[in-house]
Amino acid sequence: MSVEVKNITKKFGDFTALDQVNLKVESGELVALLGPSGSGKTTLLRVIAGLEFPDSGAAQVLFYGEDVTAIPASQRKAGFAFQHYALFRHLNVFENIAFGLRVRPKATRPGEEQIRARVGELLKLNQLEPLAKRFPSQLSGGQRQRVALARALAVEPKVLLLDEPFGAVDAKVRKELRRWLRKLHEEIHITTLFVTHDQEEALEVADRVAILRDGRIEQIGTPEEIYDNPASPFVYDFLGNVNLFSGRVREGTVIIGETEFAVEETAGETDTDAVAFVRPHDIRITREANGQKTFPARILRCNGAGPLANLELERLDNGGLFAAQLSKEEFQQLQPKAGEQVFVELKNVKIFSEDFSI
Amino acid sequence: MTDDAKINAPHRIGEPPLVRRLLIAIALAFIALFLIVPLLSVFTEALRQGLGFYFQTLRDPMTVSAIELTLIAAGISVPLNCLFGVAAAWAIAKFDFPGKNILLTLIDLPFSISPVISGMIYVLIFGAQGWFGPWLVDHNLRIIFAVPGIVLATIFVTFPFVARELIPLMQAQGRTEEEAARVLGASGWQMFWRVTLPNIKWGLLYGVILCNARAMGEFGAVSVVSGHIQGRTNTIPLHVQILYENNNIPGAFAVASLLTFLALVTLLLKTWVEYKHTGLRGTAFTPVPLKKRQTEIPA
Repeated sequence: MSVEVKNITKKFGDFTALDQVNLKVESGELVALLGPSGSGKTTLLRVIAGLEFPDSGAAQVLFYGEDVTAIPASQRKAGFAFQHYALFRHLNVFENIAFGLRVRPKATRPGEEQIRARVGELLKLNQLEPLAKRFPSQLSGGQRQRVALARALAVEPKVLLLDEPFGAVDAKVRKELRRWLRKLHEEIHITTLFVTHDQEEALEVADRVAILRDGRIEQIGTPEEIYDNPASPFVYDFLGNVNLFSGRVREGTVIIGETEFAVEETAGETDTDAVAFVRPHDIRITREANGQKTFPARILRCNGAGPLANLELERLDNGGLFAAQLSKEEFQQLQPKAGEQVFVELKNVKIFSEDFSI
Repeated sequence: MTDDAKINAPHRIGEPPLVRRLLIAIALAFIALFLIVPLLSVFTEALRQGLGFYFQTLRDPMTVSAIELTLIAAGISVPLNCLFGVAAAWAIAKFDFPGKNILLTLIDLPFSISPVISGMIYVLIFGAQGWFGPWLVDHNLRIIFAVPGIVLATIFVTFPFVARELIPLMQAQGRTEEEAARVLGASGWQMFWRVTLPNIKWGLLYGVILCNARAMGEFGAVSVVSGHIQGRTNTIPLHVQILYENNNIPGAFAVASLLTFLALVTLLLKTWVEYKHTGLRGTAFTPVPLKKRQTEIPA
């Protein structure tokens, strides 16, 4: 039981928005579609909702096993929240939420009483009760987003699709909305897909994250899986800051400068040029050289403000720049100064076989 | 006013007072000379021979027939152009299709050619010597020098008003509200009546008012196709001309005062609709700009 898309390809003129995409979302799951702009994530969401139709061929959209590929948006029973909410500006909050119930065919349309009850319920669930009589132009961004969600939920959709649900609000409201969406999802447990370009958002809110790039799903997995085991340099880079060290791979190690570091997995390359990926917080800095495991570098800048200290460093052997993050504690112990020479140790080094440059 | 406010009060910028007053005076004098004086003259000339003559002219069967014909022509052309206008604006604003720009240009065509030529077109097509002339004569159908010709010419001339008003409005509003309605289960009709129409109603009304004013006041195009048959194919503007040419100056002005009155009513309605557009709530007509929406934070 799930929402599933198969072999979805969608072109706009010469631009391929989606290229043979397959995705399966389990019932009750909250999945994030994460990717840079132009990666096809919104198009995929619109295809699922029936607002775009995939280019012919073997494309299929399945809602709980039922093929809805040819069914128009109005009959798919998908709830969709638009990026800029698309609230009906001439209707108040109550009527916006009631819209989906009022447009039902006579046979299935609930009575006025039932509509009031249902909308009242949703107003309460979304903490919108005092705003029922307001018009969209009188609401803040966060409130609009909640109305948009309540409106989508009113029709009891089989799947909830959210396009950049937190895109158009400021950072603080964004955090609140995130928590609220997570809570809402735990309460009503509806199969949900949401689109975002913010990796932090995806990792924090979703059960699983699908990373899109150029119309393809690059990797899909739980937040931990994709963060700890990125399948490609693109995913690695997209999920956080990263340092690149050019070096050579040899038998389970990578040689950077004149130092050997252990590598978790290699594709069996021996003695080839490679680029090693290391996150800034996986870099340790010491004053003493630690045998074979460190290489020398010079500190260019230190910034100790905030919970983590950010350092900018330069390799002594080839002048390559990289960044390091220290905890407050480490920073206070070490007391690094700009211009100082230190020794650098790398943890969790990852290399990718394909050629890649950021 | 507190001291702080005084200090913070912005200094006046721009031209010195003398220049400003001079400019205002020139503008007012111009308006008085070219708008107010002619307007007053219409009514003074119309009433020169007294109220009795004024109403006698308006009750004259020829005048009544001209008023009727004008109402018929406007009554047919305005609803039709309303329909065409909404359809054209919908197509242009909500869909991408080849030839969209050509359609946009074509909609403006009636504005850019002389009304006389608009009339000529129909004479050339439907007139006795025109393309369909012989066929129409065989079937005993009259278009030129008859009511259908007048209606056609009026439709042509007033075609752009509604569409031009709606296209930018619908383009600015985008498609997402309609898409939202669709996803919520609305049929095409429900979407139109419950979402699209409420969003464009003030723009539509504005276009209809302008369209109606032009339909009733059109002279050139109608003049060519009408044939000026008193009591049969005479509209108000044509009737004014006939009275004037027959040296019935007060009569001409009396009938002209009707059109002037229509113009004033139109102006009032237009102002009222404009006020409603941007009025207090203004939800239908003044969407909060996207930029503002994004940065709108309750303090």
